[in-house]
Order: sequence, then C-alpha cells, then structure tokens
Amino acid sequence: MLEFSAVLALVVLTVGAACSLKDARISLATSLLALAIVLAAAVSTPQLFMYVLLVIAIGVLTVFSMNVKENQMSGVDYALVALITVITVYVAYTSDIAFVLAAFVIASVPTYALIFVSTDGKPHVDVAIKYIAFMVLATVLFIIGTLLLVYSSSVKDTVLYTLGFVMLILGLGMEVGCAPMHEWVPDVFSAADPLPLSVIASITKIVPFIAAYKILLLTSLPQLNNLTLFVAFIAVISMFTGNIGALTAKETGRILAYSTVANMGYIIATLAVITSKNYLYLAFAGALLQLIVNAFGKASFFASIKTDGCSRPLMYVLALSFIGLPPLMGFWSKFFILTSLVGAGLVWLAFLLIVNSAISIPYYLRIARNLAKDTVPGKVTAIALVASAAMLITVLPPNWFINVAKLVIGGV
Amino acid sequence: MNWEIVLLFVAPVICSLPIAFYWVKEPGSDRARKLPMLSVFGLFISFVIAIHILLMYPNGTYTIPWLPEYNINFVFIFDYLSKYMGALTAFIAFMIGLYGLEYMKHDYRLGWYWFFFNMFTASMLLVVYSDNLLMLLIGWEGLGLASWGLIGHWFRDDDHLSYVGIVGRKVGPLKMYWPPSYGGWRAISTIRVGDMPMFFAVAAIYALTGNLNISQIHWGALFTKIGLAGTVFLMLCLLMGPFTKSAQLPFSEWLMTAMTGPTTVSALLHSATMVAAGTYLFIRLSWYIHPWTLHAVPGVGVLYYIVLLLGLFSALYGASVAIGCLERKVLLAASTMSSLGLMFGCAAASYWYGKLAVLIAFWYLMTHAFAKATLFLVAGHLIHATHDRFCCGDLNLARKMKTAFIATIIATIALGGLPPLTAYWVKAGMDTVMHHIVEMVGSLPLDLLLITSLLYSAFLAKFLSLNFWKGDKYRLHLHGEKLMPLAYACVVSMVFLLLYRILTGTDPLVETHLLEYGLDKDSLIVGLGVTGTYLFALVVPRIRALSPIGTFLGDRMYLPALNDFIVPSIGWAISKLIEYTHRAIDWFCHFGLPDFMLGISRRIRAIQVGYMRVYMKIALAFVMAAIVVSMLGWL
Repeated sequence: MLEFSAVLALVVLTVGAACSLKDARISLATSLLALAIVLAAAVSTPQLFMYVLLVIAIGVLTVFSMNVKENQMSGVDYALVALITVITVYVAYTSDIAFVLAAFVIASVPTYALIFVSTDGKPHVDVAIKYIAFMVLATVLFIIGTLLLVYSSSVKDTVLYTLGFVMLILGLGMEVGCAPMHEWVPDVFSAADPLPLSVIASITKIVPFIAAYKILLLTSLPQLNNLTLFVAFIAVISMFTGNIGALTAKETGRILAYSTVANMGYIIATLAVITSKNYLYLAFAGALLQLIVNAFGKASFFASIKTDGCSRPLMYVLALSFIGLPPLMGFWSKFFILTSLVGAGLVWLAFLLIVNSAISIPYYLRIARNLAKDTVPGKVTAIALVASAAMLITVLPPNWFINVAKLVIGGV
Repeated sequence: MNWEIVLLFVAPVICSLPIAFYWVKEPGSDRARKLPMLSVFGLFISFVIAIHILLMYPNGTYTIPWLPEYNINFVFIFDYLSKYMGALTAFIAFMIGLYGLEYMKHDYRLGWYWFFFNMFTASMLLVVYSDNLLMLLIGWEGLGLASWGLIGHWFRDDDHLSYVGIVGRKVGPLKMYWPPSYGGWRAISTIRVGDMPMFFAVAAIYALTGNLNISQIHWGALFTKIGLAGTVFLMLCLLMGPFTKSAQLPFSEWLMTAMTGPTTVSALLHSATMVAAGTYLFIRLSWYIHPWTLHAVPGVGVLYYIVLLLGLFSALYGASVAIGCLERKVLLAASTMSSLGLMFGCAAASYWYGKLAVLIAFWYLMTHAFAKATLFLVAGHLIHATHDRFCCGDLNLARKMKTAFIATIIATIALGGLPPLTAYWVKAGMDTVMHHIVEMVGSLPLDLLLITSLLYSAFLAKFLSLNFWKGDKYRLHLHGEKLMPLAYACVVSMVFLLLYRILTGTDPLVETHLLEYGLDKDSLIVGLGVTGTYLFALVVPRIRALSPIGTFLGDRMYLPALNDFIVPSIGWAISKLIEYTHRAIDWFCHFGLPDFMLGISRRIRAIQVGYMRVYMKIALAFVMAAIVVSMLGWL
C-alpha cells in the first residue's frame, strides 16, 4: 500500500511536470493530487497521520507560495516542491540508512534549481552559485560522515566514529545554516527571490534533521556520549550568532536569515540529548515541532515579502509563535526542548536557550511590524491564515505529539 | 457567654463610630461635642463585662472556630493573669475616658481621638484575653496603630504645650525638641522594628509545633528540638515585640516623645496598659513556659539571663533619666520605662526562683498601672491648670488642687515602695527574689534593683515637691474641673484595694508570701533607705551644683542620637547606595547592554562581505579545524 502510493505519487508528479510545458496549471493540479494520494495512503498508519497531515499542509502552502507569481519554470517548480514534500513524509517510515541518505539528497537537490528562479525574467545566478556550492559541500560532508559512522560502528573503531560524527554534524549544520557555516544564509535570503526561499527556508529543513537522528541512532556507539558537547558548542554559537545578528538587521529577508540560523541552533541543541534514553523522544518532539513552526512561519513570511506585506493580525500571531508565547505552537516546541535539556542535565544549555529567546523578541516584533498591513483577500493571506491556524492547534497541550515524534524516528 | 465575649471587644469600637463619622460631617458642632458620652458608654460596657469575667467566669479557655483545619481559632483564655489584667485595663480605660470627657472638651479633632482611644481599648483587651498568638498579633497591631494615631493627635504641631523638650534647643546636630507628628512617627517606626521579628517568630512557632495557643504549646519540647542557639534566637525574635513595645533599651526613645500626645493617652497607653502589654506578654509566656522546670533544656537559661539584665539595666537607665528630668510627663515616661524594666527583670528571675517571681512581677504591674495612671492624670490636670509642661507649683497650688495633691502623695508613696503602702510589699518580694538568686547569677541584679529603687523613690518625691511645694513660679488657670479629679481619685483608690488583698492574704496565689517578705529584716532596711531618699528628695528636689549631670541625664544620655542621627544616617547611606545602584542599572539597560549587543551584532554581520571566497574560507577553515581537533582527541 505504502510503496504503491509512493510510486503512484511519483508517477503523477512526473507526468504533471512534463505536461506543464503545455500548461502550468496541469502541474499544479497533479502536484496537489500527488500530495492527496500520499495523505490518503497515510490513513493506513493512523499513529503517524498527524505528522503526515502537518507536512502535507506545509507542502500545499509552499506549492501555493510558488504559485503567487509566475516564474521561468512555473509548473516544474510545483512538482519539485511536491517531491520534497513526498520525501519528507516517507522518510518517517524508513529505518534503512540507504533510503535515509537518498531522502537527504532528494530533499536537497530540487532547491538547486528553485534558487535560480525569479519573477522578472533574470535568474539569480550569483546567489544560486553561493547556495549550491555550500549545499554540495554540505551533502558531501553528510554522506561521508554517514558512511564513516556506518563502517566504524560495525567495526567499533572509535577514532573513525568520531571523525564520522564530526563530519555528519558539520554537513548537517552547513545544510541547514548553523553558525559558523552560515555565511551563505544572509546573502541568499536577502538577495534571492522570496518565493523559492519560502520553500528553502521551510520544508527542506525537516529531512536533514530526521536523517541525522535516524543515522545517529542506528549507528550509535558508547563513544557518542563524549561527542554531544560538540553539538552543544555548535548550537550555542548558532543561537547567539543568529539572534544577535538579527538585532541590527533592517531588511526583513536578512532578519529572517539570522532567525533561521538561531532556530537551527535551538534544533541542533536537541541532538545533545540523543544519548539520554529518557529524554530522547521529548527532545526530538521539540525539534520536530520547532521545524514545523519554522516551516509554517518562514513560508508565510517569505510569501508576504513578495507582496510587500500581509494581514497584520496574522503576522503578529506568527511572530509571537516564533517568540514562544503560550499557547501557540512555538511555545510548546521550545518547552519540549527546554524540558528535555534540563532532564538530560544540560541546564546551562537550557539557560542559554532562554536568554536567546529573550534576545529574539525585538526582531520578531520588527518582522511583524515590517510586514503588517491591512488585510486584503489573496493567496498570501490565505497562506498566512492557514499557517496561523496551525499555530493555534496547540491551545490544548500537544502531548500527543511526543508519541508521533517517537514513531517518526523509530520508523513504523 | 458567646455574645458577651464578642461585645467586650466590639462595644467600644461601635460606640466610637458615631463621633468618628459625625465629626467629619460637622466638626466642632455642639451636637458632635456630646457624642463622646456614647464612646465612654462603650468603655463602660467593656468594663462591666470585664468585671463579670473577673468575678464569675471559671478558669479555662473558650474557643470560637476560625480556621479549624489549620488548628487556628479564636481562643480566649480566662486565667489569673488575664482576668485581673482585663479588669484593670477596662477599669482604667473607663476612668480615663471619663477624665477625657472634660480634658478634651475643646479639642479640634474629637472624632479621631475617640475612635482611636476606643479602638485601643478593644485591641488591648484582645491582647489580654487571647491565648492564640495570631489573634494576639491582631490586637498587638491595633495597639501600635492606636499609639501612632493618638501620639500624633495634635498633628498640626501648632501648640508648643504639646511638644517634648525645650523648643529651639540644639545639642550638636541633634534638635532636642520633638513635635507631636514626629513623636507619632518615632513610635510607629520603633515598634515596627520589633514587630517584624515577632511576626516571623510566631510563624516559626506555628511551623514547628502546628499550634499557636500559648497555653497548649509544649514549650519544653519545642526548645529541646531547636537547641540552644535556636531557642535563644527564636525567643529573642518573639520578644523583640515586647522589648520595643515596652520601651526597653535601646528602644526607649519613642516612649519619651510619645508624651507629645494628649495626657489621657499618656496615662492609658504609655503607662498603664499598652507599654505594659509587652511585659504582660512576657509574664504570660513565662507562666506557661514554666522556665523553672526547664533547667535541663539548653538555651532557656541564657534567654532568661539576657532578659533579666536587659530589664534591670533599662530600669536603672529610666530611673536615672527621670532623676535628671524636669518635664512633668517625660519624667513620668522615664519612670514608666524603669518600672517596665523591673517587671521584665523580676519575671525573668522566675527561671531561678519559680512561679512566684512571675506573680510578683504581675503584682508590680498592677500597682504601677494604678499609681502611674494617677500621676499622669494629675500631671495632665496640672498642665491644664498652669499651661506649663515643666514642673512648677507651690503649697498655694496644693491648697487649690487638694485632690490632685493628695492623689499625688498617695500614688508616689504607694509606687515608690515606702512602707507600709502597696509597692513596699511587692518590692520586698522583688528584693527577696533578687537576693535569692545571688548564688546563681551573682549580685549584679540585686545591686541594680536596689539602686533603681532608691532613685525611683527620689524622683517621685521630686515630682511631688516640684509641683506642689518647692517648684518654680506659675500662673493658674483653673476652670472648675469636676470629672478629672474624680477620675484620678477613683484610680488611685485602687492601690488600697491591692494593699488590702496583700495584707489579708486573700489572694489565692500570692497568699501570705508578700506579707512574709515585707516583714523580713532586710526588706525593712531597704524600705527605710527608700523612705530616707524620698524624704531627702522631697526637701531638696533640685541640687543646682549638680545641674550639668542633671542635664546629661535629662537629655536621656543623648540616646536620641540613635533615633534621630545614627539610624537616619544609616538610612540615608542605604538610600544613596540604592540610588547609585539604580543609576547603574539604568545605565546598563539603556547604554551598556544595547551598545554591547550592537557591537557584537555589527561584528557578526561584518563577515557578510558578499564574496564567495571569503565565505568558503571561513566555512572550510571551521570544518578543517573541527576535524583536526576531533582527531587530536579533544572531543
């Protein structure tokens, strides 16, 4: 059933992309159809349904954000975004390292094409080169790291294991934009077209983290205990760099870039809990929820940049969710992360995370203020409305999410 | 029984409400000036109930539920101490209420006065009858509040007759005169210093025992549990309330400047009852702690020794100040402090001597209350008649104010310890107690007591002599007062009632002990000595050659510096410190932190130069560094 639906979705996407040369609207319809197929197939695994639903929701939002304005590859872009979404769903179902690695590549490569697009006819070559160069380097580091981990864990070689772990984390950090390998992020986020950025900054961040969690759990050696400090180190640098950098940034895209760096810091911090049996799932639940918050928020913000703003209340709901105001989703993600850090004995890291949350308040409000304008019906407003509604599904404490997260890294 | 107990506390307050509100509406109108009668009627109700309790109620506690799930209730106790003390309080309050009808007739603020006066009486009765420490605290705070309100009654500071000290006089940086508003402030601020530790001590007692009823707490077990340091610390915190309220060293200054209030207030609050509430509480605690059975418990001995010396030194200090003082009410205030010190000392001696010492302290409290209230009321009458706060008067005045003169003679003799009047027998008991404990604690307490006793009778004689015989010139303004002489005549007659109880040995607890002690040879010698100094001071009330010493004593050995200079200086220093701290915080929040963040933020963003090669260099350098370091075994 699952395999069949996956193949069917891919076939539908391919056909749609091919037909889009004739009419881009065909591809829009087939992309949505492929996502619907995936969602329908997920009914067979009700434990994971909420995860699939949230990912598909983000996927649909990003498909529509590509649809806000026409570009050079309109039609194909919908299929690419839908492809990323499909792989983000299916990566949750596997515990096969080869498939995980494939998912990592598949979620990343379509963005190499998307980054070029523009709506004024001139492709963003300069920015695209920077982006692709970093992505290639990141992918290489990630893959080599994975291979080293797999090999060294089977022969119990701690030196190689250490090397593999460091390379994997470096690759992951570079891929998602952790400091100090974040140099590409501010440039790309401020210079590229906002529409592809609403994809790059949001849904593509999910797969690398799930992949890293799965690989580390599948290859774990006792040596891992000594290595989590390296992750914490990257997390702290990333948080401070992102939050403090964003304080003086004026351009909304640039603020969002630094916000991404900071958010990736929060999320990578949870990898430091990976050796704690009791808090691992809570940590991952926090990370995954933070990724979802980030995806909804960034997709809406970048789409809003394209139209020079969006509905005032929606912008503030999203900004407050990023800040972590209860009962919005952004509060629960940070709450899970903090609880797991404290539980695993990393109180200092939790403390630094709280300090960083405080630092972040002014610039999130600045984003909301920059983008806020009167409400007019439109595609971007609809996108932001759906994202804001998603932020509110956690008015009741989302304890169920912890079980979902447990299955996502455990595989079904 | 229920309604009667409630009425005891509520009647005075309710009866004072009409004047309190009506005075706001029509201050000074004829109708308003009649309403104080109603207030005094409220005091009368309390008086009748208190007498009923004294004569008819069985001993024991009476509980009205309050917070039963926390074991906190309104618990009223009727025992030897509370019955006598309640009757005494209600009687003196009623008598002074009567006196006040005339004394305050032309005042500009009667609503305020009578409300606080009656509220004070209710609070004091609550303190007297309550067994529950929390309920006692409610009354205790009522006392403090009423004290503040009544001391500062003449808040306009416009009449020099209400000041304390010679107006305009300065010694060094100290202004040696105090207006009523400042007097009220000094009182409440000093008392709060004691009340705060007392609050915490009560809370700690509750936390440690789960019980707040003085008569039910297992004090011995509590003290054993918390050890020597714990016992001394806890009880000193608890006794900080009594020490400040009873104006023991070094908290005595507020009582001296409390004399800026109306004389009725000085008589009721600052001699007979409120200041005695501190000693009363200590007596009540000792009564139920049974310190004489706790010699094996560490800390109790230390505590009682501290209280013994503190009380006796305060007594000596107060007596010395009274010797040097020429202001009628301040002299009496100092003597009150001295008496309170004697009560503390004597009650503390119970640790070595047994329960009888507590009883003697209580009897002294009663004798002192009646006699000192009389002297204050006379002083008030004299100030009214001569328009002078300082001692003045001669035999001619004595002839014109016969009742005052006779009441003063009786009160001074009865209080000074001259045989055969009341205080002689009580003081003989004290002498015996202090003599008995010489073996245990040395002769210092006995010496302090004897010196204090001699000074005490001397300044009482001085008070009599300077006001009715050999005082300065004066101008007389008699207004034909009737109630005032009646009131102090009634009050002073009570010392004879006490004397009767002592001489007949009819009191169930004191029995014939005081009589035996009084007939002892040593006590008779002391009595003769006291009589000698009394007669000497009567004939020679002032020795001009010694006036520098007198000034030093009359200036209260410059203890005012503590309240008016040292403590405020510390306060100013703290406020300066806080101001600088605030500035530092402001600078940090407005400039320090933002500038710092701005600097870092700029530095973080400085690497975004836009050149690919720079980015790659940084990223690859970090990757290489991380790999190399991890391979070096750092991770």
